[in-house]
Amino acid sequence: MNTFLVRRLIYKDWYLSQGLFLAALVLGTLTLVGIAAAKGTQLAVILGVIILATILIGMGAVLMSSVVVERRQQTLPFVMSLPISYLEYTTSKLIGCLLIFLVLWAALLLGMIATILATPWFPHGLIPFTVIMMVEMLVTTCFLAAVSVTTESQGWTIAISQLGGLGLNAVGFSIVRLHGIKDTIVSPHPHWTPTALAILAIELATIAISIAVAFYIQSRKRDFV
Amino acid sequence: MTHLSVHFTGVSKRYPHFSLDDIDLALPTGSIMGFVGANGAGKSTTIRILMGLVHQDSGSVEVLGHAMPADQAAAKRDIGFVSEDMRLYEAATLAWHMKFIQSIFPRWDQRYADNLLRRFDLKPQQKIKGLSHGQRVKAALLLALARRPRLLVLDEPTTGLDPVARREVLAELMAVLIDEQRTIFFSSQNTLDVEQISDQIAFIDRGRIIDSANKEIFLDRWRRIRLMLPPDTTLPRLPGVVEVGGSSRLPVLTINQFDPAMVAACQDAGAAVQSVDAMTLEEIFVANVQSRRDHPVAVSETTESVTA
Amino acid sequence: MYTQYIQMDTSIVISQSDGRPMYLQIMEQIKQKVAVGEWPPGEEIPSIRALAVALRVSVITVKRAYLELEREGVIITQHGKGSLVAPDPGLAPRLYDRELEDHLEHAARIGNLLGLTPDDLADRLRDTSARLTAETLAKEPV
Repeated sequence: MNTFLVRRLIYKDWYLSQGLFLAALVLGTLTLVGIAAAKGTQLAVILGVIILATILIGMGAVLMSSVVVERRQQTLPFVMSLPISYLEYTTSKLIGCLLIFLVLWAALLLGMIATILATPWFPHGLIPFTVIMMVEMLVTTCFLAAVSVTTESQGWTIAISQLGGLGLNAVGFSIVRLHGIKDTIVSPHPHWTPTALAILAIELATIAISIAVAFYIQSRKRDFV
Repeated sequence: MTHLSVHFTGVSKRYPHFSLDDIDLALPTGSIMGFVGANGAGKSTTIRILMGLVHQDSGSVEVLGHAMPADQAAAKRDIGFVSEDMRLYEAATLAWHMKFIQSIFPRWDQRYADNLLRRFDLKPQQKIKGLSHGQRVKAALLLALARRPRLLVLDEPTTGLDPVARREVLAELMAVLIDEQRTIFFSSQNTLDVEQISDQIAFIDRGRIIDSANKEIFLDRWRRIRLMLPPDTTLPRLPGVVEVGGSSRLPVLTINQFDPAMVAACQDAGAAVQSVDAMTLEEIFVANVQSRRDHPVAVSETTESVTA
Repeated sequence: MYTQYIQMDTSIVISQSDGRPMYLQIMEQIKQKVAVGEWPPGEEIPSIRALAVALRVSVITVKRAYLELEREGVIITQHGKGSLVAPDPGLAPRLYDRELEDHLEHAARIGNLLGLTPDDLADRLRDTSARLTAETLAKEPV
């Protein structure tokens, strides 16, 4: 693996998506400030969460579909004229796009936790649920990345990103009804119950499997353009 | 012995509706090969195999001494590749692309790049989005040329260029060859370009190489002989006649293995030789493709001796 | 490297609509340069690659022209040193002589096609020559 070139390709994706990244970061920060300013009223929280989720899912979809976009906009032959193998290209796409997404994700996650901790309007017991839901978005994004990179199909990428949005709601509603979550969510202290930890473990495992399967499929591909 | 920069042996690739069959190509270092074929004849697939982007089903491909596709990353360090379906990043400027390529290719020549900017009349601060088709082609060529690659692989480099730009591009390609260690492989539908600058020519049709040779040999082998026959005379069977046209009294022979002795043979048969004309590459290409499509078996027998 | 080929003498003109092969066009124009003394005997001439780049024609075409010119004794190619115009004082008249030979051959062939006898041909040539002399005299302001 030529790590220098993989880094150059990641830099290229970062350069090309930094405008969008900054816009997402600013919008996310404003939303959190808005939630805090509205003193945690229910309407503000619901609106804020919808906006934050949309930012993350939208940014994830844009980043992860860049494989499909490169093919459609015919910049792939340009990239493949560089001294890289296709696996190195795939690596740069998966790692690069996930890294860029992770930076935004981490910034917003920290912002949320900071908002919960720093303002008097939210129970700290909300933190585990917030983390679980944020990791769930990461799962959706990684899965989307895997599908997009391996199928190279715009149709599949769009379908999975839509399903991801719906799935996130479904997961949220199901999890919030679980005993290990529901019981501690309004507590003044965060409780990392076995249920919460098990869910996190499943999420992290899904992420690992998605990426591993994507790499495996890519390493067996023969024709690329 | 001259070293080969590109060497295909028995390369085949099958798709559901198209296949490349048993492609042999040999391009000596320091020369330029023009690869001619109609749309859909297999030019782009061959070039993708050359670049390692498509894997052949069988046969071996060696580029600059590297086995393709396995060794493609190493080979591409010394290849400048521009294809007709290649686009640059619309949102970035040409200057950004130049910096990006420069950071990857240690042999990048900034003075040459600046020189090309002037000659191609390109503005580095302009975003790719705002460039015309011709400017985009020239920008991609600049990025490939200024890497100073040992091998340039160009898929239809002059298509869609205006005459002035085409002339500039051909001049740059020739300028590359002042260095005997550098080699160019280019495909084109423009037979005039190919005839003008290439040393080697390969014709591809329906997924097969139908002819490949040094250009001078190639042009010398093909002639059109215009004859005048006295009434009731028949011509002897001459080897290498691919087509007999014209009328019965004024036949026109198209020959792919011309030998001055043929003229004498015609005269001995009582025919008056009105002219022996050289053919342009375009005429040769069309005659070649048509004769092969009309008599696929008869002509393929001669191919072996011809391509040797 | 760049300026070199641009500044080089490119007064050779290759025409793609000219029916003759490019190597013949190059040969003929080099012979003319030698015949009129533009490239004097013993003078170094451009290398094959340099001329190819300047004319934007393939190396192999220029190489062929040089080989044929060498065979005809117009130029000398020293391995690794480039090419020179043959240092032969009688070269220019000989080149003209050979050109005349070519044209006569061509005329004779067309004469045959038209069914002219050698005497007819000779008469036609005499007439043409006389006409040209007359035209030249008429133009000259004495």
